Amino acid sequence: MNAKHSRRALGSERELAQGLAPAERRELGRRREELRRRLRATGGRGRKVRGLIELLKPYRGRTMLMFVALVAGTAASLAPAPLAKRAIDNGIVPGDVGALNVVVVAFVVSALIVWVTSWAQTYLTNWVGQRALQDLRLQIFSHLQSMPVGFYEKRPTGVLISRMTNDVEALNQMVTDSVTTLFQASLTLVGSIVILLLFDVQLALLTFLIFPVMAIGSLAFRLASADAFRRTRETIGALTANLQETLSGIRVVRSFAQEERHLHQFDVLNADNRAANQVTVNLNAAYFPSIELVNAVATVAILLYGGHQVLDGNVTVGVLVGFIAALNGFFDPISQLSQVYTTYQSGMAALDKIFELLDERPELTDAPDARELPRPLRGEIEFDHVTFAYRQGEGDGGPKLALDDVSLKVPPGQTVALVGETGAGKSTMAKLIARFYDPTDGRVLVDGHDLREVTSRSLRSQMGVVPQEGFLFSGTLRENIGFGRGAGELSDAELEDACRAVGAWGFIERLEHGLDTQIGERGVQLSAGQRQLVAFARALVADPRILVLDEATANVDLHTETIIEQGLRRLLAGRTALVIAHRLSTIRQAGRIVVLEHGRIVESGTHDELLDAQGRYWRLYRDWAEQAAA
Amino acid sequence: MATFRRLLGFLRPYRGGVALSAVLAGAAMAFTVLIPALTGRAIDHIRAGDSGALDRLGLAIAGAGVLRMALTVARRLVAGKVSLGVEQDLRQRLYEQYLALELAFFDRQQTGQLMSRATVDLQAVRFFLGYGLVLIMQNALTIVLAAVAMFLVDPLLAAVSLVPVPFVIVIAARYGRRARPAQQEVQQRIAELTASAEESIGGVRVVKAFAREDRQLERFAGATARVFSQSMVATRLSAFYQPAMGFLPQIGLAMVLLVGGRRVIDGHMTLGDFTAFYAYLLMLLVPMRSLGMSLGLAQRATASGARLFEILDRVPAISAPDEPVTLPDGGGRVELRDVTFTYAGAPEPALHDVSLDIDAGTTVALVGATGSGKTTLVALLGRLYDVDSGSVRIDGVDVRDLDPAVLRSQIAVVDDSPFLFSATVAENIAYGRADASREEVEQAARRAQAHDFILRLPDGYDTRVGERGLTLSGGQRQRVAIARALLADPRILVLDDATSAVDASTEQEIKQALREVMAGRTTFVIAHRLSTIALADEIVVVEDGRIAAQGPHEELLDVSPLYAEIVEKGLPDQVFLNRNDPEREVAGL
Repeated sequence: MNAKHSRRALGSERELAQGLAPAERRELGRRREELRRRLRATGGRGRKVRGLIELLKPYRGRTMLMFVALVAGTAASLAPAPLAKRAIDNGIVPGDVGALNVVVVAFVVSALIVWVTSWAQTYLTNWVGQRALQDLRLQIFSHLQSMPVGFYEKRPTGVLISRMTNDVEALNQMVTDSVTTLFQASLTLVGSIVILLLFDVQLALLTFLIFPVMAIGSLAFRLASADAFRRTRETIGALTANLQETLSGIRVVRSFAQEERHLHQFDVLNADNRAANQVTVNLNAAYFPSIELVNAVATVAILLYGGHQVLDGNVTVGVLVGFIAALNGFFDPISQLSQVYTTYQSGMAALDKIFELLDERPELTDAPDARELPRPLRGEIEFDHVTFAYRQGEGDGGPKLALDDVSLKVPPGQTVALVGETGAGKSTMAKLIARFYDPTDGRVLVDGHDLREVTSRSLRSQMGVVPQEGFLFSGTLRENIGFGRGAGELSDAELEDACRAVGAWGFIERLEHGLDTQIGERGVQLSAGQRQLVAFARALVADPRILVLDEATANVDLHTETIIEQGLRRLLAGRTALVIAHRLSTIRQAGRIVVLEHGRIVESGTHDELLDAQGRYWRLYRDWAEQAAA
Repeated sequence: MATFRRLLGFLRPYRGGVALSAVLAGAAMAFTVLIPALTGRAIDHIRAGDSGALDRLGLAIAGAGVLRMALTVARRLVAGKVSLGVEQDLRQRLYEQYLALELAFFDRQQTGQLMSRATVDLQAVRFFLGYGLVLIMQNALTIVLAAVAMFLVDPLLAAVSLVPVPFVIVIAARYGRRARPAQQEVQQRIAELTASAEESIGGVRVVKAFAREDRQLERFAGATARVFSQSMVATRLSAFYQPAMGFLPQIGLAMVLLVGGRRVIDGHMTLGDFTAFYAYLLMLLVPMRSLGMSLGLAQRATASGARLFEILDRVPAISAPDEPVTLPDGGGRVELRDVTFTYAGAPEPALHDVSLDIDAGTTVALVGATGSGKTTLVALLGRLYDVDSGSVRIDGVDVRDLDPAVLRSQIAVVDDSPFLFSATVAENIAYGRADASREEVEQAARRAQAHDFILRLPDGYDTRVGERGLTLSGGQRQRVAIARALLADPRILVLDDATSAVDASTEQEIKQALREVMAGRTTFVIAHRLSTIALADEIVVVEDGRIAAQGPHEELLDVSPLYAEIVEKGLPDQVFLNRNDPEREVAGL
């Protein structure tokens, strides 16, 4: 204890920060979090808008062009109503064919302008929108990649994926749909109002009476239907989930002959879904016909009031017809604008979530003065009084210590088998040596270098990790085996040698496309044993000085078992290895067996030494032997 | 076309509703078409200075508007009911069919495929039957009625101004046809992008361990670029077609101004008729487009319908016999006579000429390499598959002569990774017997050594587990599954590798539980551990789909070299085995 304190006092400033008691560190973290939250709360909207503008900045020229097209197109689309008025008042009523022809030409020209501008605007909006979102996706992705492994342990994969897909998609909707609709509909509405006012002020004011009725009605409908739509989405989600589950568990359903019960459950959900849909049907049945009615009533009002004005000679017939023609330009935007509201809301919510993710700072980064580890390493590992506790919500540890003052020195080339019960600290030791975490106290050293003082790249490029369930990427076997070095750098002979050495060549050879066989979802499915062998080959090709390996326990047949055993031996030869061991054969061969219990090393030695000592290992071994013989 | 006609068959139970909504739609459209005509009249009366007639027409238009609303509301409600009914029926039919189909069908199909039938395809069909048909009818009716009204007023002008209509419909249909696959491809590429992201995040430890972040970023960038380029394909289509569809009708309007204006000046036509024409063309803008688009809906629905019928038309290969034999009382005697069985699509039989006699109450251990046929053998007992030749008898009755539900209620399976449903622990245990009381459930859990850990769960027996609930460890799931089997109280019990997922101390408890369960029934154990094999009265060694040896442990050690080798090398080498290690799951190691 004393020794630790003095070391802390002598350590660098950074070590000091690392050495803070867990409670102090938590307090610091909490305050930082609080500050970040407050910043977000005050600067929220501005931040979001600025963030969006930032995304569009590289495409300034195109964005401007898009707005020009949008304004020009909207203006031209307003032309028909005033033109109809002119046609009647200046051409048809006075019988002036020349004036009529001019109007028709203007009409066709305006239609052509609308054609061209809406082509340009559609194209540019989507181009800019998609580009910006592509940039955002990449930004999120590379941000995620910069986060340490601990970050991923707190968050379900689905949530992170959703940021890059669903949320970006919601933003896409907002950018390409809502924003243009917002501008277009507002411009159209304003333009129509101006035109109507220019036609006739009194008649215009009469028409505007509809505005609040329409606006309130539309908004109320959107809000009510947003709720109803959410309900339908939920019920359909429940239906889909139920079906999915029944299909996945079909063997159990069959075995217990419970088809009736599932049908009944499905019936209930199906009826729920129908009921939820019925609400939207009712809402639609009330809303859309009402809009039509308001339209008809407005026409009548204009006809009656305007008609009498015409009779009194205050208004021309052309104005009346122009009014009726312009009414649609007044109704449609109101209805569209109310629709924008909901997409805008979900877009903003998505933006919130995305920025929240981008604001997360990686906590485990290379020190500014980090050094490169020498290459090649000798491969000596040392745990120097290492204590480690997972923080709340990270790992399974809670506040208890996962490792408690562990010291261990592994000379280059030795294989150490870690043995112990669940939660004894085996995996934690493996994670610390790969610097997925930093120790809470003490130091982890490789060739005498504290891992916190070296670049993680120089560490990991000389270290291999073989997880228990050999995680393979979809792609060819060649890409997977060459993962650590880049497939292009490896010759077929090198790959084949590695595969042969670990015993993977036997099955690869028999595949139709050999090393170029596609694996994963859209390719060949490999068995657990085969995946294990490929992971061995991948590690061997990377030729690391230090190997961290979690032995698989999947049931494989006798033949594969033997091959894996031999492959493992070949892989471990000549490097320093830390193995979380499950097989007796592996444990027996290890240069040293380390028995862990509650985060402490309780025994250490070779198989024979430990059996002679008649301690914990001996008891574990005896229990197992009894069981095997039972 | 045959598919299309069969699709319409789904509407048969709703004939009345369909007919009624057609009538209502027709009537509503008639009023819609009436309004511009009345407006035209009103203009003429204004020109003529007849204010009394103007007021009457105003009232008439308002009346038409109100009637139209009433009709449309009624139409939407009736059509909505039909559409929801059809949707519910379709879903029900498909689900029933899934539950009726034999297991072999599911071995060949990916779950994703079956799901997409029930979501994407069903959606397309129901959308067409529910809305598409009404939409097509309504739009066609609007166009026809408006055209008739226009021809009645002025045939020449009608002919000239309606010229763009067929073009718009054709273009819209073409657009619908081309835009959909382009859009689907966008979705497909987004799915690929998602998969790529999923892989990088799922494999983040491997990526970091090998320091290959740059490679993953490069791959992801490739995926986003593919999404972008396909989005632009879709964009180019919409940028080309949409404005064109907007432009063409404007030509009709220009024609009304040009030709109609002259005809008014020449006195062939009143200003009111001119106004009405103008209003008709404005009114047709939307129906023209959407008629074209909804024709695309019909095509899509037909394609999806074909895929649905592929499943609905399949006759379940295993069904109850017409006159099922009652299963006589018995203790679960099992006989296999010269059984040969081949999985669909497999080149070789999984079982060759297997004959086996197991007395009631015996515990049999099946031993052999992966893929030797152990699991297949037990699957045949519950008639999850039908044999190619030979027969399987339970207590003297051929399983094909029994009602499958009765047969399966007498056989319970506990396998390697038991599947639990998203329901409470108690519901999962009572899965085979929904009527079981809570006491019975707890009793079963106690016997399966599951009671103690269940009590420690957040809500005890009412804790939700499964995909959308708490995740139990392998050993816990296994004990729940054993309790589930116990409660079903079957004559025959199948334990497929049932204790591989637990550590040594838990295994001791489970062994206790198993002894309890095995008492008084015939039990098949597919075991990889000597300790489990030790529970058996008799051992059957399976090799390449054949029975290589059969007998008690000591006897087999002498007569079967294969068994001796398995015992010596294959089974015991799993020391300190602890597969459900939460710490390791977290580390991904």
